[in-house]
Amino acid sequence: MEIRIDNLTKKFGDVVGVEDLTLHIDDGEFVAFLGPSGCGKTTTLLTLAGIYKPTDGLIRFGERVVNTVQPKDRNIGMVFQSYALYPHMTIFQNIAYPLKLKKTPKNVQNERVRQVANVMGIGELLDRRPGQLSGGQQQRVALGRALVKEPDVLLFDEPLSNLDARLRLTMRGEIKHLQKNLGITSIYVTHDQLEAMTMADRIAVMNRGRLQAFDAPDELYDRPKTLFVAGFVGNPPMNFLNVSVSQSNGHFLAEAETIQLPLGADRGEPPARHGGAVVMGIRPEDIQIAADGDVTGEIFVVEPLGREDLIDARVGEHSFILLADTEKQHRAGESVSLKFDMTQAQFFDPQTERSLLWHH
Amino acid sequence: MTARASLFDAGKLKIDETPPTLAQDLFSALRLGLIGILVMLAAAFFFSGVVGPLFALGNVEETVMDVLTRLALLALPFVAYIAAASVARRYTAADTGRALGLAFTTTIILFAAISAGHYAFSYGAFAPRPSLQMTLSQTEAGIRVESIVPGGAADIAEMQVGDVITAIRRDKVDLAAFNKRVGQSEEDAPLRLRFIRGAEEMQETVRVVVQSDKQLNAIIPGLAIALVFTAIIVFLPGHWAPYIALIGLLSPLIVGYFWVIVATFSYRTEGLVPLDSNDNFGGFTLKNWESIFAGNIAGLEFNIWPILMTSLAIALVMTFVVLLVSSMAGYALSRMHFPGRRFFLSFTLILHGFPAITLLIPIFFVLLRLGELPVIGELIGFNSIGGIALVMVAFQLPLGVWLMKGFFDNIPWDMERSALIDGASRFRTYWEILLPQIRPGLLALGIFAFIGGWNAYIIPATYSIGSGVSNLPVFLNELIDETAPVDWNQVAAVGLFQLIPIFIFFIFAQEYLLNIYAGGTKGSS
Repeated sequence: MEIRIDNLTKKFGDVVGVEDLTLHIDDGEFVAFLGPSGCGKTTTLLTLAGIYKPTDGLIRFGERVVNTVQPKDRNIGMVFQSYALYPHMTIFQNIAYPLKLKKTPKNVQNERVRQVANVMGIGELLDRRPGQLSGGQQQRVALGRALVKEPDVLLFDEPLSNLDARLRLTMRGEIKHLQKNLGITSIYVTHDQLEAMTMADRIAVMNRGRLQAFDAPDELYDRPKTLFVAGFVGNPPMNFLNVSVSQSNGHFLAEAETIQLPLGADRGEPPARHGGAVVMGIRPEDIQIAADGDVTGEIFVVEPLGREDLIDARVGEHSFILLADTEKQHRAGESVSLKFDMTQAQFFDPQTERSLLWHH
Repeated sequence: MTARASLFDAGKLKIDETPPTLAQDLFSALRLGLIGILVMLAAAFFFSGVVGPLFALGNVEETVMDVLTRLALLALPFVAYIAAASVARRYTAADTGRALGLAFTTTIILFAAISAGHYAFSYGAFAPRPSLQMTLSQTEAGIRVESIVPGGAADIAEMQVGDVITAIRRDKVDLAAFNKRVGQSEEDAPLRLRFIRGAEEMQETVRVVVQSDKQLNAIIPGLAIALVFTAIIVFLPGHWAPYIALIGLLSPLIVGYFWVIVATFSYRTEGLVPLDSNDNFGGFTLKNWESIFAGNIAGLEFNIWPILMTSLAIALVMTFVVLLVSSMAGYALSRMHFPGRRFFLSFTLILHGFPAITLLIPIFFVLLRLGELPVIGELIGFNSIGGIALVMVAFQLPLGVWLMKGFFDNIPWDMERSALIDGASRFRTYWEILLPQIRPGLLALGIFAFIGGWNAYIIPATYSIGSGVSNLPVFLNELIDETAPVDWNQVAAVGLFQLIPIFIFFIFAQEYLLNIYAGGTKGSS
């Protein structure tokens, strides 16, 4: 089922939940809504589910405008962070509830519930009650209940947030696998960028009720169109530095006080044309500690992450987060030379916060 | 212990570290006992010397402080024994002999001290009692005078040693009855005694004297009680203490119910003891119950079944309507936004605090007018069960709505959204998903409503004046009003009869009331 959201606005009194959101989701696509708490992603999801009515704009499922359609008539399945299982019903009754409401014949109900339960690996738990199940099992039941009526659209509201890290990893894989197999258009709300990056075909990054970017994970990572997206996507986050970019004799140079970084024409030309102060962004993995570095700094803190060390290096007033090999055994207080891979540098207009490199 | 203490000795050493000597224990026990005495004395003084005069200043006549003072003084020795025995209790398991020895020694010392205090202030065993100032013994012929205090009441009345008392006025007495009679007399009350001196029957009037004998053997029962009490404290398992305290606090209730039950099955009772016509234990009967069903109590003719049905109808209608309206209103207030929601909420709260009784007369007129409506008037007007139930429901609703709103507030929104997305209508979500989850709340409110309706008196009594409609409480009042003399055993039977459905209700509801749901949502436990 194709979903088309056009100029969607949702207000609660004077409080704006979502503003002027336009988003087209293809049939069978897995889209993640990513953003910090209170950015409007769950509001959007609940508006799609029909729990909230849009203040303005259009929502279409296929060709059908569903703005005023009741949730029960939208044929959607939803999985909640809190699982929202019905505590007074058995697992069987929980999963069968959507079928019961559709007045599906008893024998068909029975068959379908068992089928779904087996796929979800909860076939032996059907006689239990939700309170007797572990968090992971409850989440599988919730997923089973959402799938059992063969919905056109699957909605996930941070479904893995209440699970422990290990289980989250397994469930992540299972959900992605299931979605690809069934080909159901899915929308997945999360504030965990790792989940969004690994699972989604495309990610809609939201902030303060507005859509910041809507792109494939790699695009968002390599070609962030706004300062917010650049800062939000990627872990550890991108380093930002106020610089001025100048051109002399076909050579471009980004400068900030004592720091001077030479640039190639493809990256240097747009900020130089913009003139004045710009914000430069550079990811931690694009800064190396090397003998022939561009600038010299001092290591402030070393945080071992296991596979590598997270290093906070200071150059004058400026702080740079970077990743280094653990074998080098860097220590705080050590003086190091930093080499910037300027072919990966990003530049943003400090006023509009839009990228100077990638246009819309 | 040698200086070469091994690893294993170290543990023992720690346990045995400076064991208190017997003298130390005795001392600390006595000190605790003394603190107990002082605390209770302070309490007694606080009631009689501080709070009492304050009340008196405000011209408030009241006896509570007096009672509290006497209670504090009565409890004083026992508090002291408990405090002292707490030291001995440490040894109960390990060294019973030591525990008992310690406890008894301290108890006797404390008892001596308390008795000395009683002697000095003419209190307790030495308190002044009504007396005729002669010693008596029971013989076959009657009560023989054994000795007479010179110059005492009996001496003044010219009683002599060897007189055999047979009666006070015309009531024949034995020694027990005689002592009881004297004990209940007030100072200077005249008692005319019939007695036989030699072969002659004579009469003398003796005036009762209230004075303290200060005889030392009066303290012997006190000492026995003190020792038994101490022994109990020493051996009492610690975890029984809360239950004993609870039973003690509940005893007025327990005694009350015990009396009601005993009274309904007997002709008459003296205190808690059922008596037959000859004042002996016994006299059990079913007549109190029979006359309820026969419909005649002391000449008052009635039929219990319509009265019972009226009670039941009021209670059931009330339970049903209160549950239905409260849960729906509670749902709306908890889940929906509509104009006036906040006003409605605060207004209901005010209504809940509003003394309903002040509306008795205005509502009377409202019901009168309602009664004039065609058809509906028959149903909910004045003098109808529906009218009474309507008013009772209205008074119960503010509480019910708030209670239900609170229960709905505790159900996560996701649960409801999930049901809506699963394909349920809003009403079905309320009915199938939300209501089952607030079942404990519904049950609690249902019980409130049922008991409220079942025991309702003021409203049924007011809004059914002069009609045949009466429920059990109203009938109970009629019974007291219209029979003379009131047969209290009969009244008790009707009262107990009224209690039966409540008992049944609670027996079945208990399980549900204690059942707390294990949550199916994270964080709602």
